[in-house]
Amino acid sequence: MKQFLRYTLLMVSLTLLMTSCIKDDTDLDEVVAQYTVTPAEVEIDLTDLNEAPDVPVTDENDPAYNDYVENTDWDDAISINFDGEAVVINGKVPGVMVQTDGNHITVMNMAGPVKFVLSGQTNNGSVKFYGDKRIQVLLNGADITNPHGAAINNQGGKSMYVVLADGTHNRLQDGINYTDVEAEDQKATLFSEGQMIFSGKGRLDVFAQGRGAIRSDDYIRIRPGVKLYIESQALDGLRANDGITMDGGSVNVVTNGLGAKGVRSGGLMTVNGGRLIAINGGDTRIEYTPEGLMDTTACAALSCDSLLMVNGGTLKFKATGDGGKAINAKQDISIQGGSTVAVATGTKKMKKPRGVKIDGNFDISGGYFYAYSRRSDPIDVAGKTTLAPGYKNYELTPKLLTIAY
Amino acid sequence: MARRERKQLIACLLVFLCTVCFPTSSLADDGGLVASVEASHKFSKEVSAGAELEFRSRNNFRTADRVSLGADVSYKLLPWLKASGGYALLIDNNPEKLTYQDDGVSYNNWRPSYWGVRHRFNVTLTGSHKIHRVELSLRERWQYTYRPSKITDNFDFDEAEWEDHEVRGKGKNVLRSRLQLEWDIPKCKFDPFASVEFHTTRELEKTRFIAGVGYGVKKKHNFKLYYRYQITGSSSDEPNIHMLGMGYTYKF
Repeated sequence: MKQFLRYTLLMVSLTLLMTSCIKDDTDLDEVVAQYTVTPAEVEIDLTDLNEAPDVPVTDENDPAYNDYVENTDWDDAISINFDGEAVVINGKVPGVMVQTDGNHITVMNMAGPVKFVLSGQTNNGSVKFYGDKRIQVLLNGADITNPHGAAINNQGGKSMYVVLADGTHNRLQDGINYTDVEAEDQKATLFSEGQMIFSGKGRLDVFAQGRGAIRSDDYIRIRPGVKLYIESQALDGLRANDGITMDGGSVNVVTNGLGAKGVRSGGLMTVNGGRLIAINGGDTRIEYTPEGLMDTTACAALSCDSLLMVNGGTLKFKATGDGGKAINAKQDISIQGGSTVAVATGTKKMKKPRGVKIDGNFDISGGYFYAYSRRSDPIDVAGKTTLAPGYKNYELTPKLLTIAY
Repeated sequence: MARRERKQLIACLLVFLCTVCFPTSSLADDGGLVASVEASHKFSKEVSAGAELEFRSRNNFRTADRVSLGADVSYKLLPWLKASGGYALLIDNNPEKLTYQDDGVSYNNWRPSYWGVRHRFNVTLTGSHKIHRVELSLRERWQYTYRPSKITDNFDFDEAEWEDHEVRGKGKNVLRSRLQLEWDIPKCKFDPFASVEFHTTRELEKTRFIAGVGYGVKKKHNFKLYYRYQITGSSSDEPNIHMLGMGYTYKF
């Protein structure tokens, strides 16, 4: 027995001598780490921004001159105060007709630039403007819900200056079902056929259940000091057919509708400053043509049909639904400054999710750019990518692209 | 056995080994160790029983491949025919499984190596015949191996996340046929042996060629040192493997 143990020990010793305990797995730890990288945080941020003073353009030849509410004389004013069940209207302007139907107000403006001051709360009210004259809508603590359509609807094709009175908190909400008027659009809770320019140092929350939240069939400009919180369960959050310019302000957009876009610009989109955060949790929308063919529309936190130009500001986009893109650019993207973060964490059942998808070219010469996609490449550029020399950091991994100047 | 006959037998063994082993070996083959310790007891002329502990390595001796613990009982039906049955608990270090996307470059799924158990039962019939000092034996073994299901880690590169992967439980029947020559050299404690074994399921899965030598100390202690070359069938992704074998048997 002693010998048995001795020989057994000898065998075990020999075995240990000839064996090591090295794993024979492929060394993929580093690769896996690249795939499991935690993306940058993109969350709603309602904190105040420290912005440089908003100086209006005073040169009449500047194309932006008319976008400044300060450059128009607003001698005529009408105030509309919702007080629960009743509405109190003060001020009379020749050429301006104001009709009421409960808390639903219709304004026909044949006069000229008129300022409308909205305040008070209504659960079943709205304001609709007609007339091809510039108007200023000063939101001075207004809380308007229209269960049957848009809360504010400008049918005029001229500028609508939406001014948020300093320190006020305003709220607009639509209903799930809209009651449409023939030959009239009401595409969102806050809708304008003409351009919409936001200014002031107040806050506006816009909620959409039936259609979009804020939409202009022209362009939208957002000036420093503005604080917008947009939440849409149906269509796009912030949309303008002819372009969006953001000079400053803080804009937060949350959308969850199928195929919806957080921010959508049909024309040139320029960001010069401020903070724009859009989070889209919607999945791909599936529709069928009369012929029975399937048509799919993916979501995007930001969708731009034309050039997207970033000169400054903080932009954060996140898409979490199936096939969702954080940024979907139909043309070029040009980044000269600011910080742009795009994160896509959605699945790819119907469509491929992307951090950034660019059908045109991608040029970057300044600022910070970050793209992440959990289930596909972080960036997809159909055209040419140009990185101006001088960047401090360039990192490309299977899920992440970071460029910093 | 005459001196001339001995030389002929050794020559035959060498030719046999050279023919079956070397033409099929390649640089991509693996290398490993198989080491075992066995204790056996003869209860009567017919009945004996044994227990064995075995260790195997792969990846050119660098990675543990298997630890097994087995027991068997044998019964001598006839002077030339023995029947046995046994059970072994196999603890395997299953190699990783890495798959690629259709482009053949991008990773698809990675299941790292993991330890798992299997239960193996066998029934064996061994017939042997001695010609002079050379014993020729044919062993036919049916073995059934059951692998219980196990949850392992799997990294899905598409989903970019670790997920639980179920390796499903399954049973497998194998017929193992071994032909062995063993030479008892007079006045020599070294007994050379050689064998070829085929593992067959619905097709030939493995072929093992073994050549080695046994060494006895006082009839109680037996040592084996051998070389084993294992060729796997085309349907398997296991590489062929060269193995160095060491065995110790204690008879009491």
